[in-house]
Amino acid sequence: MTDSGLLVANLSVAYAGSVTALRGVSLRVPRGSIVTVLGANGAGKTTLVRAVTGLLFVHDGKIREGTITFNGKPIHTASATAVVKHGICQVPEGRMLFPRLTAEENLLCGAATRRRSPEIDLDLERVYQLFPVLGERRRQPAGLLSGGEQQMLAVGRALMARPRLLICDELSLGLAPMVVAELFRLLRQLNETEEMSILVIEQNARVALENSHYGYVLETGQMVVEGDSGTLRADPHVQELYLGGAGEAKAAYQALVRQYRNAIA
Amino acid sequence: MPLDKFLQLLLSGISLGAIYALVALGFVLVFKATSVLNFAHGSFLMLAAYLTSTLLGSLGLPFAVGLLVVALSLAVLGVVLHYTVMQWMVGKAFFSVVLVTVGMEIVIRAVILVFWGPLERGRVQGLPQGTFSVGGAVIPYVNLIILAAAGILVLAFLVFFNRSRMGLHMRAVADNLEAATAMGIDRNVVYAGAWAIGLLLAGVGGVLYAHFSPSVNLGLGVIGLRAFPAAILGGIDSVPGAIVGGMIVALVENIGAGYLGAQWRDVIAFGIMFLVLLWRPSGLFGTKELIRV
Repeated sequence: MTDSGLLVANLSVAYAGSVTALRGVSLRVPRGSIVTVLGANGAGKTTLVRAVTGLLFVHDGKIREGTITFNGKPIHTASATAVVKHGICQVPEGRMLFPRLTAEENLLCGAATRRRSPEIDLDLERVYQLFPVLGERRRQPAGLLSGGEQQMLAVGRALMARPRLLICDELSLGLAPMVVAELFRLLRQLNETEEMSILVIEQNARVALENSHYGYVLETGQMVVEGDSGTLRADPHVQELYLGGAGEAKAAYQALVRQYRNAIA
Repeated sequence: MPLDKFLQLLLSGISLGAIYALVALGFVLVFKATSVLNFAHGSFLMLAAYLTSTLLGSLGLPFAVGLLVVALSLAVLGVVLHYTVMQWMVGKAFFSVVLVTVGMEIVIRAVILVFWGPLERGRVQGLPQGTFSVGGAVIPYVNLIILAAAGILVLAFLVFFNRSRMGLHMRAVADNLEAATAMGIDRNVVYAGAWAIGLLLAGVGGVLYAHFSPSVNLGLGVIGLRAFPAAILGGIDSVPGAIVGGMIVALVENIGAGYLGAQWRDVIAFGIMFLVLLWRPSGLFGTKELIRV
């Protein structure tokens, strides 16, 4: 099972002061697929990202239980550096750029774990082809770019790591619909042409389900529903809570949740 | 001639300023990259000055060799200090970390007492001792060499900090630690590197100061304290600020003390820091957040 993709099994995470943020979460991102995790604020989405990428320690969080493997190798005890070297890189929530570094320097930081080589320069050019505006503003401090440009820079920076799994945490947050559509079009293109696996963490369920193969719904630290993205889009509860559809589907949804819980128990 | 005296003080102030700039630069780098206010910075300079007096004074090593040995020893000491002491203080309360550096200062002072004893040692004379005169001011060659050596090192540092991969990672960590970690930059490597270079700069400052100061004694740690007004005046997180701040503090202090008397040195150094901060709270070059949301 060398290219089984990302497997999260029965993951529980707690922060210092014993706030349990994730409880028994399981998830699979098969190689070459786009998988989305939906959930409201505080559902634990970013905690999931931190657990996968070795960043829990920054926030005094710890994995209490469960395993995370990537292409068969356990990574739940790996350092953030090791995770990037394994081929997982993220576009963090809130972009988390280096505001005083230039756009180009931000991109070069994305290649921090790679060996110095001319390929890095080629990848830089490739990012400028994907986002010509970044090429024009390569010498400007990242903090002075517009919101959309900053998000493009965050995506470009992650691509500079040459990830086999790209994790996008709240990519759409605070961006104009046109920019969001453009970024997701790019993600699909990367997925199709380079077989890059992508994990999309989103509050914006509509755009996430339209652009993914498979989806999960996370609520207060637990997975409550999963399914093909098309199926989830048609699901009454998902429609009601995440797609803004018309109501009266509560009971049907609760049945679905019970059914799912029984199935994974 | 009053103008001669001024010129004299100005020119020796420039050499002193070059040393202060080096010392302040090391102090600012450690603060910028690791968020540690290093109160032991001056004692590293003092340690380097004592090493210089032994290697160049007693053993008679050539200047360049002695400089290299002291600088590299201090750099290695920086790496060792990070992995044995400071690494465990990462993420601890700001003042706990500061107190650890105060403790380090005390330990280094004790080490110097044990190895070198309490008596002061003479000025190190590892450089040509002649003088020349410019417009009535008498300039020792030593001052010129100090200025050149410090200037070259500052330039080398700027190239390293702004152009090298390690320099980029240091700036990234200083800008956004979590993001740097997410990109796979190992903060311990960056911290150790910052300590190494910070101490290397203090070390070279110590070698040069041992040639500049009338004697090598246990009071030299105070030069590290001069790095505070220099760094704070320039903007505590600013690299150019440290260089300009070091130069300003040295010039004003040297000229002021020349006219008012040496006992005013510290008062003047901290006095101008106070005045600049009244006028610009984040120093001359200190940046406020550069973020557009």
